[in-house]
Amino acid sequence: MGKKVGRFFLYLFLIFLAVICVIPFAMMIVNATRSGAQIMSGFTLIPGTSAKENWDLVFDYFNLFIGMRNSLIVAIPATILTAYFSAITAYALAIYKFHGRNIIFYVIVIFMMIPGQLSLIGFYNLCFKLGMINTYWPLIIPAIASPGTVFFLRQYVLSILSPSLLEAARIDGASEVRIFHRIVLPIMAPGIATMSIGAFIGNWNSYLVPLLILTSPPEKFTLPVMIASLNSSQDIAANQGAKYMAVAISIVPIIIAFCFFSRYIISSITAGSVKE
Amino acid sequence: MAAKKKEEINLTDNMQVVNEDTEKKVRIRSKLTSYNRWGYAFVVPFVVVFCVFSIYPVLRTLYLSFTQYKGFGTPKWLGLDNYIRVLTDKIFWQSFGNTWKIWGINIVLQLGLAFLLTIIFSDIKYKVKGLSIFRAVFYLPNIIAATSVALLFQALMDKNYGSFNKIIYDASIKLNKTFSFIPRYKMVDWLGDKNTAFLIIAIVAAWMWFGNSFIMLMASVQGIPTDYFEAAAIDGANRWKVFGKITLPLIKPILLYVAITSLIGGLQMFDLPYLMVRPGNQAYSSIRTAMMYLYSFGFGNNRQMGYASAVAYILFLIIFAFSVAQFFLFNRKEDK
Amino acid sequence: MKKMLALMLALVMVFGLLTGCGSGNGSKDAETTKAAEETKAPEADTTKEAVETEAPAEDAVKLTIWTLAGDLKTFAEKYMEEHKNVTIETVVIDPGEYVDKTQTAILGGDKSIDIICGEPQMVGNMYDAGLFADLGALGGSEFEGQIVDYVWDVGTDADGVLRAISYQVTPAGFYYRTDIAEKVFGTSDAEEIGKYFATYDGIIDAAKKLKEAGYRIFASDGETNYFSGDSAWVVDGKLNVDPSRVQYFDFATELYQGDYTAYAAAWSAPWYAAMAGPVPVLTADSDVNVWDGDAFAEATEGYAQTEIFAYGLPAWGTLVMRDHYGDTKGKWGICGGPSYGFGGGTFVGVSELSEKKEEAYKFIQWMLSDETLTWWIDKSEGDVVSKISVLEANKDFKNPLYNNQSTYAMWMKLAEGIDYSKVTQYDTIIGNKWGEAIGKYKTGEMDKKAAYEFFYDEVASAYPELTIERTLLED
Repeated sequence: MGKKVGRFFLYLFLIFLAVICVIPFAMMIVNATRSGAQIMSGFTLIPGTSAKENWDLVFDYFNLFIGMRNSLIVAIPATILTAYFSAITAYALAIYKFHGRNIIFYVIVIFMMIPGQLSLIGFYNLCFKLGMINTYWPLIIPAIASPGTVFFLRQYVLSILSPSLLEAARIDGASEVRIFHRIVLPIMAPGIATMSIGAFIGNWNSYLVPLLILTSPPEKFTLPVMIASLNSSQDIAANQGAKYMAVAISIVPIIIAFCFFSRYIISSITAGSVKE
Repeated sequence: MAAKKKEEINLTDNMQVVNEDTEKKVRIRSKLTSYNRWGYAFVVPFVVVFCVFSIYPVLRTLYLSFTQYKGFGTPKWLGLDNYIRVLTDKIFWQSFGNTWKIWGINIVLQLGLAFLLTIIFSDIKYKVKGLSIFRAVFYLPNIIAATSVALLFQALMDKNYGSFNKIIYDASIKLNKTFSFIPRYKMVDWLGDKNTAFLIIAIVAAWMWFGNSFIMLMASVQGIPTDYFEAAAIDGANRWKVFGKITLPLIKPILLYVAITSLIGGLQMFDLPYLMVRPGNQAYSSIRTAMMYLYSFGFGNNRQMGYASAVAYILFLIIFAFSVAQFFLFNRKEDK
Repeated sequence: MKKMLALMLALVMVFGLLTGCGSGNGSKDAETTKAAEETKAPEADTTKEAVETEAPAEDAVKLTIWTLAGDLKTFAEKYMEEHKNVTIETVVIDPGEYVDKTQTAILGGDKSIDIICGEPQMVGNMYDAGLFADLGALGGSEFEGQIVDYVWDVGTDADGVLRAISYQVTPAGFYYRTDIAEKVFGTSDAEEIGKYFATYDGIIDAAKKLKEAGYRIFASDGETNYFSGDSAWVVDGKLNVDPSRVQYFDFATELYQGDYTAYAAAWSAPWYAAMAGPVPVLTADSDVNVWDGDAFAEATEGYAQTEIFAYGLPAWGTLVMRDHYGDTKGKWGICGGPSYGFGGGTFVGVSELSEKKEEAYKFIQWMLSDETLTWWIDKSEGDVVSKISVLEANKDFKNPLYNNQSTYAMWMKLAEGIDYSKVTQYDTIIGNKWGEAIGKYKTGEMDKKAAYEFFYDEVASAYPELTIERTLLED
C-alpha cells in the first residue's frame, strides 16, 4: 500500500516536472495566436484568432524562413566538414605513428579547455583582415578543426577498430585513402553520426559568432541572430502576439524534429562525455 | 624520419639471409612504417585550419591585450596597463561576481534536480518506468536555441503583459473573492528588479540544462553492471544503502565532470542575460556577466578591443584553475 | 548501426527539403509582403524592403541605404517613384547597434552599402573610423550656406571636410492635448501652456492640477529627458554633471514618487497606447491588472482610467504622433520646455567604400531639394527641415493637424537654442548610466549617494580616459 502511494507521488512529481518543461512552449503557442491586447488582458489556454495578423506582422518585419535557410546553409556544411575532417584526423592520430602526433593531441586537449572568448576578439580581427565579414566562411571553415570531436573520435577509433583489420586490407593491397574511406569510415559511422547530431545542434543554435560576423540585416542573418533582433522592431515590441509568433516559428520545427529523433539526440550527449 | 626509414631498409637488407617467414614479417613491418607517413596527409587540413582559426586568434588576442586598439588603425603598445585596469575595475569584479551568483544558483538547481531524478529512476524499490519518455521531455528545453528561450521568457516574465504575472494575478483575484484575507497579487517586474532578475536568469538556465545533466548522470548509472545490484540484493542491503554504497560512488566522477564543465560554460554565460535584460533596464548592472562586460568593450559602440582582450585573458586565467581540475579528472578516469 | 546511418541520411534529406520549402515560401512571402506594403501607407517600421521597379530601365541603379529609422525609407520610396531606373534597398538597424554594425561592415570591406547615416553623438566616431566619404568633393559643397549652421557643423569633421548632411533639425518640445488643456487650465494657447512647461516647478504644479482633474501629465517620467541636455557630458576630458542634470534627477524622482505619471516606459506599448486615448492608471506598486477591462472594472472601485496630457518629443515626434494618435487626431498642440533641447537627427552621407558614390550623392542632392523637403513636411505632418529656404517658406504655415497652430514658427523658435557643440561621443553611454542611476534612486533601490556612486563607477569603467571628480558625493 505504502509502495503504491509512494509511487503515485513519484509519478506526480515527474509529471509536474515534465509539465514545467513543456508549459512555456504551450503558452508560447497559445499566445502566438492571440492579439497584443488579449495577451495584456490575461492568460488562457484557449487559442485566439489573431494568428494570421501576428504572422503578417512578423513577416512584414523579416522573413524567418530566410533565416532558417541561412541557418541550414551554415549548419549543414559545417556539420559535414566537422564529421569528415574530425574522423580523418582522429583516425590518423589513433592509428599512424608519425612525428608530432603527440603534440597535436596535447594541443587538442588544451584547446578543449580554452574558453571560446579567448579567441573571439582575435578571430573577429582575423575575419576582418581576410575580408570575411558578412560572409558565411568564418562560420563554416573553422568547423574543419573541431578539437572536441577529434578527441572523442580518437578514443572511439582506439576502442572499436582492430589493427588486424587494417593489416589485412593492406596485404590485399588497398591504398590508405581507400582503407579509410571504404573500411574505417563505415566502422566509425555510429560515432560520427553521434557527434554530428551534437555539431548540427550547436551550429544551428549558435548566436555570438554569427552576431559578430554577419552585419547586413536581415538577408544574411541566421535564425538565432534574426530572432534576437526582434526587439528592434517597434511594431513587434508593441504587439506581444507577434513576438510570441516569431519565437514560435523558430522553435516549433525543432520540437517536431526532436519528437522524431530524440533517441539519437539524447544518445549523442552521453556519448561525448561518458564513454571515453 | 628519413634516417629512421633508412635504418629500417638496412635492417631488411641484413635480414635477407634469415628464413622466409621472418622476412615476410619484417617486410610488412617496414611497409607499415611507410604507411605512417599518410598520417601527415590526413591531419593537414585539420592542422592548417586549426592554426589559422584557433591558434592564431588566441595569440592575436594575447597581443592585442597589451595594446590600445579601437578596431581600426594600428594597435598602440601599452604594456600591462590593460591588465592593471581590469584588475582594478570595480565593474569588472561586479560582473564577475554576478556571473558566479547566477551560475551558483543555476548549478544548485540544475544538479540538484538532475541528482534527484537520478535517485528516483535508479531506485530499486519503486522501479519507476517511462525513463525514455521523461528523459526526452526533460531534455526538450536544452535543444532550443538560447536566443529563442531568452526572448520567450522575456515575453512571459514581462511585468505588464507577461503571462506569468497574469496567471498569478487572476488566481489571486479568485482566491481573494472567496478568502478575503488573501491579498491581491502585486505585479512584479521580474526582469526589471535587481532582486529577481538574476534569479529568473538562473532558473531559466537551470530549466534549460537540468535534463542534460540528468541524462549524463543516468547514463553512468545505467553503465553500472547489474550484478552489483543483484549482489547487494542478495546481501539484503536496503535501497538507501545500495544508493549510498554503489550508485553514488560510481557516478561521483561524472557528477564532478558535469559540475566543472557547467562552470566553464557558466562563466561564459552570455545569450540569456544579454537578451533578457537590455541596457537601460534598471536591473542591468545586477545581471551583467563577465562575458557581457567583455562584449561591451570588444564589440559594442564603445570599442576598446585591447582592453577587452585583456579581460578575456584574465577570465581565462581564472577559469584555467578549474580546467586543470577537469584535466586531472579526465586522467583519473583513464586510470581506472 | 546501419539504421542509425539511414536515419542520419533521412535527417539530412528532411532538412534539405526544408531548405527547398523554406526558400520557396520565402519568396512567396516576400511577394505578399510587398503587395501588402503597396496598399499600406508607408510605415516607419518594416526593417527592410526591397521594392522593385516594374521594368528596370537600361541604366538601372541599385542603391543600399543603412539607416536608423524609417524616415529614409519613405524618402527612398518617393525617390524610386520619381526615378524609375533606381532601386533602393533600405536597411533599418537598431540605433544601439548601428555604429557597431556599419563599422564592422565597412571596415571589413563591404562595398555594397552606399548611403549611411548617423546621429550627432555617433558621427564623431564614425568620421574617425573613416566610414564617410568626402561629401563636399562629391558635390555637397553646393549646399554651403543653404543649411542651418549648426547642422552643417555636425556634418563636418575635425579637419573641416564635409561628411554628412541632415535634412532635419530636431528641437524638442512638448506635445500636449489641447482639449485637456482647455478643461484644466482654461486655455490651450501654446504661450500659456508653455509657461507651465518653462520650469520644473511649473511642470510639477501643472502635474498636480492635472492629477486633481483625473489626468496624468506624462505617460513616463522620462519625458523631460530631452531638456536635461543643455550642457555637455564631457568638457575637456572631464566628466561634467551640470546642475541641470541634478535638477532633472530630482525632478524625475518627484514625478515618479508623486504619482504624476502613468508609469509606462517610454517607447513601450502602453506609452504609445496613451497617445490614442484613455489608459488605465498604473501606480508604482499596482495590485490591479489594469490591462484586463473586465477584471479591472470589477476589482477597482476608486481606480479610474486616465488620459495623458503631454509627451516630450523632438520635432520628428510628428512622425510618432502620426502613426499613433488615433482618435486624438487634431487635438494636439506644441510648446517649449524648461530649457532648449534636441534629440536625434539623421545625418546622411556616402559610404567610403561605395562603388556608386555619384548615384548615392544624387539621392542626397534630391533629398535636400526644395521640392522634396516641402513634400516631406506634408508627409511627416510637420517635421522640421534644415534648409533655410524651405524653413522661410513655411514659417507661417498653420498646421491643420495641430489646431492650426503655427508649429513651424514654434519649432524654429525652439531650434534657436540648439547647440550641437554640446554633443559628445560619450553621450549615449553616459546618458544611459545616468538614467539607470535615476531609476535606482526613484524606486528606492539605492539612496541618492549610492546612486551617484553607481553612476561614477560605471562611467569610470567605460571611459578610463575621462577625469572624474566625484563632486556630487561631497555634500
